[in-house]
Amino acid sequence: MMDFVFDYISVNAFWTILLIVHGLLAVALLGALTHQAMSVLMPVRQAAIASGFVTRFRSVQGAGYATAICVLWVVTFIFGAWIYTKYRIYVRIPLEQQEFWRTQGVFELKEHLVTIGLGLLPIYWYLWKNARNQEYDSARKWLTVYLAAVCWYGFLVGHIVNNVRGFGS
Amino acid sequence: MSTTTTTRPVAAEQSLATSTKFRTFAIVFGVATAVLYVLCDMGGWPLFTYHPGTDRVEFGWAPAVRDRGPAMYWYGWIATSMLGAAVLGGLATLLPENTAKRIPLALVWLVPVLAVPVLIYSLMFFWTK
Repeated sequence: MMDFVFDYISVNAFWTILLIVHGLLAVALLGALTHQAMSVLMPVRQAAIASGFVTRFRSVQGAGYATAICVLWVVTFIFGAWIYTKYRIYVRIPLEQQEFWRTQGVFELKEHLVTIGLGLLPIYWYLWKNARNQEYDSARKWLTVYLAAVCWYGFLVGHIVNNVRGFGS
Repeated sequence: MSTTTTTRPVAAEQSLATSTKFRTFAIVFGVATAVLYVLCDMGGWPLFTYHPGTDRVEFGWAPAVRDRGPAMYWYGWIATSMLGAAVLGGLATLLPENTAKRIPLALVWLVPVLAVPVLIYSLMFFWTK
């Protein structure tokens, strides 16, 4: 389906571009989720808004991030799932041959956790769209922290695997 | 005309965000996805198997074919767990509102957290090799 692209760029360049786009989307997602998680873990009182970088970092209106985070998670996931077909052949097989078992293990865990995160997006979105309902405060807080932790884990593991053996290496 | 096109999605979003049926669906879908995904992973129940070397898809679980590359089950696990969770979520919306409201909201983060050690255990092969 994508064969026409290869008239203009090499196969290697194509998959490398996809990997970079996947990584950039992950950066955006990570930033948004970290802001939001900080805003629920350490909410800022109105009077303290003017002071310091950390205070400003956690003083965002978390509800405004919810839809963007859902969209970013889905799109990043789709790119990751697309790249995964090539990872399985051109990255994982060499990792097996070089006996990088733990590297593969942490990557497998990443795939599991981001999939569970995908399933949590509808309730995450609902809880943030009802951010004024105090009945949802606890669930909203811990679900956001969970998704942020998964995102950080996925991001770091993706980096590690790319450092061990990225596309084109 | 432009007013109609911009207000429609906002109205739809607002109605979804205030719908108790969507709330019930989303809770059950999130929890069920986590549970079913762990079961699919540990039980080896993909809806389909993808063979990236030959670009072939087989229904259910299928072994890798010798000299034709590996078999991938992850896509199949996602399909099984998401479809199963969607069915359960849909069924949950049929529950009376009083019953649906009794589903503990804490499950939406507690179950995924509990799934982590189980998933780490399921990958024991990689930690002990």
